[in-house]
Amino acid sequence: MKIARPPISEEIPTSSMADIAFLLIIYFMVTTTFAATRGLDFSLPKEEDTPLIDKEESVLIEIQPGGALLVDNKPMQLDQILEYLKPKLERNPLKPVIIRPNEMAEYGYMVSVFDELRQAEEKIGIEVKNVSIPTQREVDMFWY
Amino acid sequence: MKLQSRSVQNQGIPTASMADIAFLLIIFFMVTINFEVDKTTVFLPKTDLRLEIPKKSAYVSVTEAGQIRVSSGEEISIPVSNADDVLTFALGVIAADPQKAFVLKADKNVPYRFVDGVIDALKQAEAEVIYLLSEQKTVDDAGAAPTGG
Repeated sequence: MKIARPPISEEIPTSSMADIAFLLIIYFMVTTTFAATRGLDFSLPKEEDTPLIDKEESVLIEIQPGGALLVDNKPMQLDQILEYLKPKLERNPLKPVIIRPNEMAEYGYMVSVFDELRQAEEKIGIEVKNVSIPTQREVDMFWY
Repeated sequence: MKLQSRSVQNQGIPTASMADIAFLLIIFFMVTINFEVDKTTVFLPKTDLRLEIPKKSAYVSVTEAGQIRVSSGEEISIPVSNADDVLTFALGVIAADPQKAFVLKADKNVPYRFVDGVIDALKQAEAEVIYLLSEQKTVDDAGAAPTGG
């Protein structure tokens, strides 16, 4: 007796393609981490181009542990710095501003102050062109 | 007059194009994905101003405990023991590409002395620009700003 074979389909089975594709999407979605790819740019001067800044001629912003700010030895809030700087920058647009965090101050506060200074043009209409963040080595070598 | 019978409507949902849509989504993910060279977990400081960091920048990360990792931007970051190692690393990177940008990925709560050492190393290596990696500041973050002493 001859047994009839079932007919073989000539098409490629693609019904599970969508399932595989969606599994791949779920894998990508679960494993993807959204990396921070933005930040504040801080241009470093060349050693030979670095001007010696007289401490008396500059505005000194000291950052204490806990975030307390002293601007030219006066306690100040972050949002008061630009108003304090405005008349000085109007007289001298190249007025040097030195950010000097205490070694135990949290790094985040330094970034907040730098961020505030970078927004000067937007907030008070004058750019703070000369911001310096000296390192401890530079302070030891050049501070007078 | 006898009305013509309505055509039989297919009750199934057409799923033939589902795979095409899914594969398009996969291609989108594969094209847009950025492989992180540094996976150090830190709480980044928050800023209003944020600029796009150039791709393939070198990374220096500093955790809250002061642990430092470095990456030239091409491979996964490796731990280094102190700022002197950062200087050695930075000199190598600058020698290969003097225009290379450096990204400082530091925890917002790390004592500044750790960051100071890293910045000093990058300055000594004559890096041109450092990007201070940050997150977007929101209205809720306004209370965390530094205050007068």
